[in-house]
Amino acid sequence: MGSNQPEGYKKKSKKFFKDHNIEAWDKVEIKKGDSLFQGIILPRNQFADDGYVEIKLSNGYNIGLKVEDLEEINVIGKNPPMIVEFEGMKIPKDKSKPNVTLLGTGGTIASRLDYVTGGVIPAFKPRELYAAVPELAEICNLDTKIIFKIFSEDMKPNNWLKIAKEVTKLSNSGIDGIVVTHGTDTLGYSTAAVSFLVQNLHVPVVFVGSQRSSDRPSSDAAINLIHGTNLAAKGDIAEVVLCMLGSSSHTYGLIHRGTRVRKMHSSVRHAFRTIGDIPLGKIENEKIVWFKKDIHHKSAVDLELETICSKKIESKCALVYIHPGMSTEIIDFYIDKGYKGIVLAGTGLGHAPKHMFNSIQRAISEGISVVMALQTLWGFTGMKVYSNGRELLDLGVIPADMIPETAFAKLCWVLGNYQDENKIKQVMQTNIAGEILPYEDIRGYQIQQGLTEKEY
Amino acid sequence: MSTYDYAKLGLKCGIEIHQQLATKTKLFCGCENKLRGQDPSDYTLERTFRPVLGEEGKFDPAMLVEFEKKNTVIYEGFTDCTCTYEIDETPPFFCDPNAIDIALEIGLLLNLKLVDEFHVCRKNYVDGSVPAGYQRTGIIGINGSIPISPQKDIGINLLCLEEDSCRKSSEGKNTITFKLDRLGIPLVEVTTAPDINDPEEARLAALRIGMLLRNTGKVKKVLGAIRQDLNVSIQGGERIEIKGVQKLDWIPILLKNEVTRQLSLLKIRDNMVERGLKSKDFQEKVFDLSEIFQKTQCKFIQKGIKNGLLVWGMRVPYMQGLWGREIQEGRRFGTEVANKMGAITGLKGLIHSDEKLEKYQFSEVEISKIRKQLKCGEEDLFVLVLGKKSRLEQAFEIIKDRLVKASVGVPEETRKALEDGNTEFLRELHGAKRLYPDTDSREIPISRERIETIRAKLPRYPWEAMEEFASKYKIPKESLNQLTLDGNLKLLEDILNVYSGKPTVVVSTLLETIKTLRRDDKPVENLTDSHFIQVFTLLEKKKIAKEAIEDILSNISENPSVKIEDIVENMNITTMDTNELQNIVQRIIPQFSSMIKERQMGAMGPIMGAVMTEVRGMIDGKLVSQTVKSEIMKEIKKGGKQDGI
Repeated sequence: MGSNQPEGYKKKSKKFFKDHNIEAWDKVEIKKGDSLFQGIILPRNQFADDGYVEIKLSNGYNIGLKVEDLEEINVIGKNPPMIVEFEGMKIPKDKSKPNVTLLGTGGTIASRLDYVTGGVIPAFKPRELYAAVPELAEICNLDTKIIFKIFSEDMKPNNWLKIAKEVTKLSNSGIDGIVVTHGTDTLGYSTAAVSFLVQNLHVPVVFVGSQRSSDRPSSDAAINLIHGTNLAAKGDIAEVVLCMLGSSSHTYGLIHRGTRVRKMHSSVRHAFRTIGDIPLGKIENEKIVWFKKDIHHKSAVDLELETICSKKIESKCALVYIHPGMSTEIIDFYIDKGYKGIVLAGTGLGHAPKHMFNSIQRAISEGISVVMALQTLWGFTGMKVYSNGRELLDLGVIPADMIPETAFAKLCWVLGNYQDENKIKQVMQTNIAGEILPYEDIRGYQIQQGLTEKEY
Repeated sequence: MSTYDYAKLGLKCGIEIHQQLATKTKLFCGCENKLRGQDPSDYTLERTFRPVLGEEGKFDPAMLVEFEKKNTVIYEGFTDCTCTYEIDETPPFFCDPNAIDIALEIGLLLNLKLVDEFHVCRKNYVDGSVPAGYQRTGIIGINGSIPISPQKDIGINLLCLEEDSCRKSSEGKNTITFKLDRLGIPLVEVTTAPDINDPEEARLAALRIGMLLRNTGKVKKVLGAIRQDLNVSIQGGERIEIKGVQKLDWIPILLKNEVTRQLSLLKIRDNMVERGLKSKDFQEKVFDLSEIFQKTQCKFIQKGIKNGLLVWGMRVPYMQGLWGREIQEGRRFGTEVANKMGAITGLKGLIHSDEKLEKYQFSEVEISKIRKQLKCGEEDLFVLVLGKKSRLEQAFEIIKDRLVKASVGVPEETRKALEDGNTEFLRELHGAKRLYPDTDSREIPISRERIETIRAKLPRYPWEAMEEFASKYKIPKESLNQLTLDGNLKLLEDILNVYSGKPTVVVSTLLETIKTLRRDDKPVENLTDSHFIQVFTLLEKKKIAKEAIEDILSNISENPSVKIEDIVENMNITTMDTNELQNIVQRIIPQFSSMIKERQMGAMGPIMGAVMTEVRGMIDGKLVSQTVKSEIMKEIKKGGKQDGI
């Protein structure tokens, strides 16, 4: 048997294929009882049960048949392995349009569907993107670059640094804006990290993703890409932001500050919310409306100041979620493994169980920065209110008024660039990129859950 | 109307029947399986769709056509029966095993080869009827058959279990609104082989399959819970899919008219061949003729031009006379072209020179200018369309394409059934390439034990039961047909097991009484099989009279959770029927004849008293007083006149 053995099958099925000399994509005729089935042999999900053969019928449907019941199977045709080619669309550059570069990190924002396996083949070259989302050609001259192709759940701090370096280079190159496509799982970590790693941005850096996969006609991928590209091309902002749909409708996108945004739902289109504040603004078609006043406008950027990027990032940082009955050994583990920083997602105003204090003290005495963020997400630390907080402060825990993921990304950045204990504490507590709110806008926390105020 | 020799024409017809299942929840989420009628929605959403690049990085043509309409889709949702699953915000929660069981039962009844593993697939739609852009569907079995008459079996190609789509709520110019409640309700789709060769046979097949489905007692009985589509072709024609056949009686009419249409189109093709026309002859240049109409008397063109619309025209060589040709009663070839153009572009104004142009109030000068600019010869036809530039380009592409197809014969397409028995273009036929595996779902093994458990409890075929009932109880065939379609055949049998009276009473209760109650807006959907059985048990025990059935059922429908005994007691009605009452009253009246003579209606009180001692608790007192009153009147008229008057 060649390399074309059907993938994903287990022992019984494999033997069946071998005995009958069947390869993937073969067109076969199967006799089962007094019935004939005709179809194409498909690869199989590797987690599925053994002992079945999966075929695609000529009407397009897939079915599974038990191999032990099959009386006869004959190959009636061979299908060559499919070669995937996009029908591209070449669009000449238009000097009157802004220039935008799209950086790819791994999410599939536009894709071609493989009708046989249901898999998607990402589109990324400009001509492919123009073919998939023709509206992009109307907005700008698009350039694309793939930085890497990794799932966002596999992202590491060094990947953030790589994105930041690419962003810095482009910011200094004189283009009008940058779009970064990114898987959504850890998108908020990346926007926060890049916000800290890159200083003196000249242009908008707009992260976009899609919550509903691009293989479905109802995907939010295209509209997020269109909004993001419009914002990068024309938005008067020089910050790292995330721009995705603001509601379940395909109407407006919300513009979130990279350090305050968090994924708040596992699947809905409007999963990303600004935490503790209102979003920076919104975009609908080409129209951008700003809600906030404290925006770093592109028009106010001092181009004399070069965009710079931090050289290093510290990977040995941990984010620890405090919970009742947790073991203090977790902290000891990080100490023993040589970690440089720990962010605690504390309960309430910034608390941790008392039995953990010894380990926390040990960590700090061994030079590990221990930062307190809040698992409540909304609100500020208040470690002077109760004795638990006061004692933690005495131990040297650094309160950080930001969402835990942002505190984590910030600590990775700070520890990569500062050694002095006091300096670390000072930078952690200084607002660098909008991560620390100067005050709490009452609208930042409105969870009506669709009920009117009357109903409450 | 002429009839056809369908065998000679080579008519081939297959039917698709969609039937909703009566499960508790929807197929892929825990939402209640129910419809909200015309209730106002709790929330709305707005979505757009775009086709997905398919194999070789190209768009599916049918999907592109939908996308080019640039429609915005509005969804109306309800918090109690639509969740984040319906609006495509979350993956499927499960695939309801109860729905799979019902589908397997139907599969066994249709003698299908059941699959060993059920695979959920996605079927793309970009018309907005499913918010995800695809419907989740999968095959339960293939290659079965059922008898549609003692002489003939037809093949069943396919049984699918799938989720129902949204209900269309309204359609505006560039928006279309759907209600979400129906989405996700499980349904089975039965696809027959194209074994049907006669329109009446098609109706019979649909009736039989419909009865088989309803007779399981596990499918929805409400109106709209069953829907049919037809696939039809004749020799030399093409496969046409006719969607949305609401009533069984439409089937033969639609089929006959479709045969007429295909024959007419083939005739037009022959005429085009005779005239030496080939498909390449229709790549004519399109001209902007708006200038000609600057001072036109034609009202709608006048108005259109004022609003910035354009009139474009094109010569159609050697087609004069063919566009005016009737292809179905009241529909010409020109209508066919205009409908297709309209369905895709939304443009309405198509004018061609086979029409009586006087009705548009075109002047002689305008017509000769058009002909001149388009270089129309004697036998050429011209076609004009009014609209926006972007839509006009698309419109003329569609017209040219339709002409090319006319030169070949009948184009494959999906058409919509119209109330008058005709059809009109709905969309291009969807291909197999819009189906692909649902990457959110796992394959579901169907074990042999599961199938055998279902097989052991399989109901018999309704037509077998009907035959037995017809001979045993002398119930008319039409009534049995209707009872079966209503899904009440089994109920009839169950009732006749507890009730030894006349079967006609049961039949009329199940057919007529329910209809009357529904007409009176009683919530008859609350009536369960058990309610009917209890009512007939009371009747059998003579605890109630048959005259009371309607009132009792009416009461139960409004208080479905109250015990029937309590309802009956509160209603003060029991065993006596009006005949018995009248007998009693007529027996008692003579005892009071002298009192009646004396006191006339004044005798009412004592007579009532006497009657009531006999009938108390057995019949409504109001009815007693009415009967007594009318019997006294009779007695008075009979000769109880007072002396001297």
